[in-house]
Amino acid sequence: MIALVVGAGGLGGPLALGLGAAGLDVRIVDPDLVETSNLHRQIQFTAEHVGEPKATVLAAEVLRRGGRAKGYRMRWTAEDADDLSADCAVVVEGSDDPATKFAVADWAVAHEKPYVIAAALRYGGNALAGAPGSSCYRCLFEEPAPAATCATAGVLGPVVGAIGGLAAALAIGLARGDARYAGSIFVFDDLRRSHTPRVVRFERRADCPAHRKAS
Amino acid sequence: MPTVRIPGALRALTKNNADVSVDASTVRAALTALDRAHPGIAAKLLDGDKVKPFIRICVGPEDIGALQGLDTAVAAHDEISIIPAIAGG
Repeated sequence: MIALVVGAGGLGGPLALGLGAAGLDVRIVDPDLVETSNLHRQIQFTAEHVGEPKATVLAAEVLRRGGRAKGYRMRWTAEDADDLSADCAVVVEGSDDPATKFAVADWAVAHEKPYVIAAALRYGGNALAGAPGSSCYRCLFEEPAPAATCATAGVLGPVVGAIGGLAAALAIGLARGDARYAGSIFVFDDLRRSHTPRVVRFERRADCPAHRKAS
Repeated sequence: MPTVRIPGALRALTKNNADVSVDASTVRAALTALDRAHPGIAAKLLDGDKVKPFIRICVGPEDIGALQGLDTAVAAHDEISIIPAIAGG
């Protein structure tokens, strides 16, 4: 069973390690190199990795722990998606780019793939699960926001571990056919104050362009 | 009074308050009261009379899109939460 992880950073680290340890074959996609400023939150990397491709270093870390993984130093795009994603049981997005989150979700809806979209910023974050037939990321958020990213607004290091772990658990469930949380978003407002997420199940939007395009 | 939970991304506008109590009987009135107390926050959430496309608002666990939108009634112990699209990873 194959899982595609888009992003090998703060969320991608716990995602790939968790999915690899659970026995999934992990494909990791990320165009970036490890930077010193990443190390407080991307704890899969050490100072020795600075300057190396994140995707291949993370894949090597999954392998070192007995898992199966391959890293691809590239940006995930819808144009190239089919080669990397078509045979995956689940696709998980944990990059820092709002447009990529929408692109992955739209691709997954169009190709009837289960998916998880995760994000973390400052002290909180969220993870959304989707599956064929469920409401989708674009049903919830209609378009990318002029959103801050970890690089610009910062994130408390352990927050990405918590959100990445949750996203991995959701992805494992989806890969096994458990879609109970599809169409729901788990929201942590501030992990310094509460460790209990709000789980919001939302309805499929009648005019959702992702679903309209897929049908 | 209902409480509005402020996401981290907007707390600079509420003097870092995570929860703001408002005297209101609908979501619309709650956001008006919130903006009165913390000017500028409504402009981050609304385009005129509509919730911005990258923001969702819930009363308890329910998305107001599945209720009566901004006219959704709120009671004294209700919690109104704001879920913005965030992109960090």
